[in-house]
Amino acid sequence: MSSNLAPTLPVPYGTRFVLRRFGAGAGRLLRNRLALVGLVISVFIVSVVLFASLLTPYGPNAIDYRAMLRGPSAAHLLGTDDLGRDVLTRTLYGGRLSLAVSLASVAMAVGGGVPLGLLAGYLGGVTDEIAMRLIDSLMALPPLVLALTITAVLGPSLVNAMLAIAVVALPGFARLVRGQVLSLRHNDYVLAARSVGVRPTLIVLRHVLPNVLNPVLVQAALGIGFAIITEASVSFLGLGAQPPTATWGSMVQVGFQYLDSAPWVAMAPAVMIFLAVLGFNMLGEGLRGALDPTARDEG
Amino acid sequence: MLSYGFRRVLGVIPVVFLTSVIVFGLMHLLPGDPVQLLVGQAQAEVSAATIAALRHQYMLDQPIWLQYVAWARHVLVGDFGRSLQTHQPVWEVIRPRILPTVQIGLTAWIMAVLVAVPVGAITARHPGSLGDWVGTVTTLAGAAMPYFLIGGVLIYVVALRLGWLPPSGYVPLDQGLGASIRSTIMPAITLSLSLGAVIARQARASFAEVLRFPYIRSARAKGLSEIQVMTHHVFKNAMLPVVTILGVQLATMFSGAVVTETVFAIPGIGRLLVDSILGRDYPVVQAVVLFLTVIVVMANLLVDILYGLLDPRIRRA
Repeated sequence: MSSNLAPTLPVPYGTRFVLRRFGAGAGRLLRNRLALVGLVISVFIVSVVLFASLLTPYGPNAIDYRAMLRGPSAAHLLGTDDLGRDVLTRTLYGGRLSLAVSLASVAMAVGGGVPLGLLAGYLGGVTDEIAMRLIDSLMALPPLVLALTITAVLGPSLVNAMLAIAVVALPGFARLVRGQVLSLRHNDYVLAARSVGVRPTLIVLRHVLPNVLNPVLVQAALGIGFAIITEASVSFLGLGAQPPTATWGSMVQVGFQYLDSAPWVAMAPAVMIFLAVLGFNMLGEGLRGALDPTARDEG
Repeated sequence: MLSYGFRRVLGVIPVVFLTSVIVFGLMHLLPGDPVQLLVGQAQAEVSAATIAALRHQYMLDQPIWLQYVAWARHVLVGDFGRSLQTHQPVWEVIRPRILPTVQIGLTAWIMAVLVAVPVGAITARHPGSLGDWVGTVTTLAGAAMPYFLIGGVLIYVVALRLGWLPPSGYVPLDQGLGASIRSTIMPAITLSLSLGAVIARQARASFAEVLRFPYIRSARAKGLSEIQVMTHHVFKNAMLPVVTILGVQLATMFSGAVVTETVFAIPGIGRLLVDSILGRDYPVVQAVVLFLTVIVVMANLLVDILYGLLDPRIRRA
């Protein structure tokens, strides 16, 4: 390590440096086809569900017994379900909940996993050992099995499904951050900060955390895809959203009973799940390529 | 090698122990008293003394860690208690459910590997090309496809419209091989798609990495055909990370089995889990979750050891 730490050197640490690197990453992101297509799909889906009330004249729970299980028509572009509710409307409004639940669960997983990973990685020793064994154990449980079990314990509801997904996704973030911290903590700039007596909390927050944010961002984008599919599966199995609340998963569950006579009821939300997951996964993969200079040729 | 294997086995013990604590703890967070569940409808006719006796019999009046020790001692000898629904021993409930899940899982696994590895190998040869991009997008799409979408489309098109295969249900192997395959082919395809997507991605990445090594250039330079280069020089080295993914993906496959078996009404482990959760049959839930987790942990242990056998560098790490 250099004994002469000239302040003018572009030392790779600090929030401003990361922001600058992030700016360069955003530029590359737009040149990255995968990320761009993913971004377009994600923005499209988020927009249509946000502006649902402008796009359709019906309410999501408006029952019409005179128009049950009707096929697509001018009045109902995607047909109606078993209670005569407009499938397009329910798909859009259901998407709001599905996306909100997914975003919230990923936010909770990041909020819990990142500090846990920072602590385990920076403190090391017994804390690290215990945290990692716990994370290994949680990750050994099949994700959907764990999510279902937690939802069952808390009681079937959308909020509980959200909590369950957060618990399932959390270990991944903790493990990722911990690995990053382990590789960063012996870098010169961390040692330098320590040698001049910067408090450990400050080192972690100012010098370590900004450098682990990029991989966390990638994992979060991929995590949203995972959360959407898991929420849909939990609701599909009857443990998430309860009727008459529409989420994509619960709509598919209802639609499956009419797969023979009215396949559109299940297919519309199922295709939306697919598109949303694809969009966020492409965005995540593209981000990975754009933010990691060594992987720039990928995608 | 022996000490490497031994270290790996030792590493598994805390994970299995903690998982059992998690599973046990989750079930004890449940609202309501298990004895009330056990007594069920007959509640009004059961005296307080009987309930107290039952609580004592099930050790519910003991501290929680004592309950765990007692439970773990029974579990270690394969005694998971009795199902609250059928009153059979839990293991008797689980056992007939294993074969359908294994049959479908194995079929899905073989299909995924047979398709995905060649796809990964071929797209890795021309990184950045249009074919590569299409391959990447296809694998991402495969991974994003929810099981009930593929399953729903297959049931609607192949079973309901074309009438080629039964839409749901399971025919055991001993009731006719043909009928059994017909009943499992759609669930297996459903299950294999996202698995195949993940394997193809991993295969592409690791084939691309191996293809960059100088010894590949040497092999080409000495005049070997591309087929020979791929089979003799690339394949074995590139397959190592793919083998790892196969172990890791077992957990994902069990997740998939839960949805797939519900979609196709297959009486397997996944369906059993959903049914017991919905029916509040907690001893069965506990046993199934633990059973699946132990299999996942063991599979990963096996992969680790296999990896050490195939690649001496790992053992020293």
